[in-house]
Amino acid sequence: MTPWTQVWLLSKREFVERGRSKPFLVIMAIIAVAIIAVGPVTNALSGGEPEATTVGLVGTELPGIEDELRTQGDLFEIEIDVVRFAATDAAENALEDGDADVVLADGNRVVFHDDTSVRLTALIQRSVDTVVTESTLEGLGLSESEIEAVQNPVQVSVATIEETDPQEDAKRGAAFVGAIVLYISIIMFGSFVATGTVEEKQNRVVEVVLSRVRSWQVLVGKVAGIGLLGLLQLAILLGAGYTSAQLAGLTDIDVAAIGLPIIAGVFFWFILGYVFYAFLYAAVGSTVSRQEDLQGAIMLPIVLIVPGYLLAIAAAENPDGLLPRIGSLLPMWAPFVMPVRTAAGVAALWEIAVAVIGSTVGAIALVWIGSRVYRGALLRTGTKVKVTDAWRAAAE
Amino acid sequence: MLTITDVHKRFGDVVALNGAGFSVERGRILGFLGPNGAGKTTMMRVIFDLVHPDGGEVTWNGSPVDAEARLGFGYMPEERGLYPKMKVGSQLVHFARLSGLSHSDARRAVDHWLGVLGIDDRADAKLEELSHGNQQRAQLAAALAPSPELLVLDEPFAGLDPIGVDSLSETLRELSSDGVTIVFSSHQLDLVEDVCQEVAIINEGRVVLDGNLAQIKAQSTRRRLTTDVDGRPWIPDLPDIEVVSNHGQVHCVVSEDAPVADILAAAEAAGRVTRFAFEPPHLTDLFREAVQS
Repeated sequence: MTPWTQVWLLSKREFVERGRSKPFLVIMAIIAVAIIAVGPVTNALSGGEPEATTVGLVGTELPGIEDELRTQGDLFEIEIDVVRFAATDAAENALEDGDADVVLADGNRVVFHDDTSVRLTALIQRSVDTVVTESTLEGLGLSESEIEAVQNPVQVSVATIEETDPQEDAKRGAAFVGAIVLYISIIMFGSFVATGTVEEKQNRVVEVVLSRVRSWQVLVGKVAGIGLLGLLQLAILLGAGYTSAQLAGLTDIDVAAIGLPIIAGVFFWFILGYVFYAFLYAAVGSTVSRQEDLQGAIMLPIVLIVPGYLLAIAAAENPDGLLPRIGSLLPMWAPFVMPVRTAAGVAALWEIAVAVIGSTVGAIALVWIGSRVYRGALLRTGTKVKVTDAWRAAAE
Repeated sequence: MLTITDVHKRFGDVVALNGAGFSVERGRILGFLGPNGAGKTTMMRVIFDLVHPDGGEVTWNGSPVDAEARLGFGYMPEERGLYPKMKVGSQLVHFARLSGLSHSDARRAVDHWLGVLGIDDRADAKLEELSHGNQQRAQLAAALAPSPELLVLDEPFAGLDPIGVDSLSETLRELSSDGVTIVFSSHQLDLVEDVCQEVAIINEGRVVLDGNLAQIKAQSTRRRLTTDVDGRPWIPDLPDIEVVSNHGQVHCVVSEDAPVADILAAAEAAGRVTRFAFEPPHLTDLFREAVQS
């Protein structure tokens, strides 16, 4: 029996016992279903297509105005429906009831319900100009090409000086969701490590375990078993999110091209962030002997994690802001912030390297510090053990 | 053979072990005795390196005990504890596997011991669903399932009913005749006297008396003297006498060369002698003497 075989047995127990606990399975199923539902529900609520704008016509009608309104609608990127009213009363009632958004009366008056719209006014003005000018020019005997030359003498071209990524919003949104999933997962599975540690102390089973294996094996087995469960949950949640995005019918967005790198990033940073925080959770968990005392003890990791989460939200808004940039380089926050900045495509290669190396070194340091506190505090029951006392006790 | 030599352990200002040691031959049962706080539990934890001693040595068959050797030891700590929400059978298999058994061997050993201890019908129940006594049995099974060569039990009889005490005593005797070395602590000295061939008494971190119980008794210069006159305890007038009153039973501990004939004559002069016993000291007498001196 090698030490690593024992570690494997310990981690298997953590994985199986925690993985089949009912509260865990229920919560996981609820979250997964909720995530899958988000896509189709959003799709249904937004109705898929934007609503058309209804223009009412009443009184004397300019010939060809309906076609021209539609043509101008295409240019203004507004879908136009046209309805005709027999009388001004009926048209006003339609405005009142919202059956029409705007009414063109006698070809020269634009009537809104209460708020006026500059875009719609301009659209109608241009439509009226076009049909009236056209009939005037026709009356003067101009040919069709001459009329066209007068109507549209110069076609301006449109350009931007910076190229924008049409999928940028989708990328940031997905990275933001990834950051939330990371945050929830690290807090959840870190807490499992702390709770599991206290349970073993509270139930006194720790002495039975430690008569067979060393404390580092218990710790590594616990972190690994719960971490594997975390990876499984991540796979399920991210899979659900991916499915949800595909069900949402995002036709103009390449879900695979955006989603898969983010999913890979979340997995990568979960491993680093989880290892970093799991050993911290284990260390603080080992200093108390009862679940009731745990709430206070796990404030330390939570106080460290929450700013990381806030910075990740800030990074989703403004990935190149000063605070997100700094946060993405620091070991304790990089796991939350860096995946968002990487997904937004703004993180320089050296920044990613600093974040990865820093977090790895930080995680190794916490494995060492956490293990030592854990070893020193594990067999001390009763009152809360001071971290410094546990540190010293481990040397004895 | 388990040999513990000159073990020292200090927790801050408290000296828990101060040069303690004893040894037990293979297949023998040693009762490990001492007042509360004498260092019994610390000593047992030292065997499993749960407490790392400041000095001293623990050897098994002549070699220092390491992690590998420890896997051949079974331990039942004073603070009982198993996983409350895990099924009894599967957690015992887990512990047996941690001690190095293959899955099938672990399964077989657990089934065997659950059967011997009479809780094989509860293998699929969660530990927390078991009665207190059955949880105690499961705890013992966890120590026994890996078929240890050395069994260390901290207060194994605490909390057992008389039938449980009898069956545990019987189990320990059988294990010992199979060659298992057993060390257990207890405050029930009559039980220790009944079950153990060897004793070690620890007081204030030092082993003050240890060895074969029969030999210790034989070598003792003290004798237990019990005299009742007219049905009531009667105390002779002797210089070197210790009177022990225990739950209404009164006896004296005197020197081996006490004038037995004179004492009996004096007792007869006082009334009708209904009881007169002059015998080797019991373990309680030895214990009291060792701890008080």
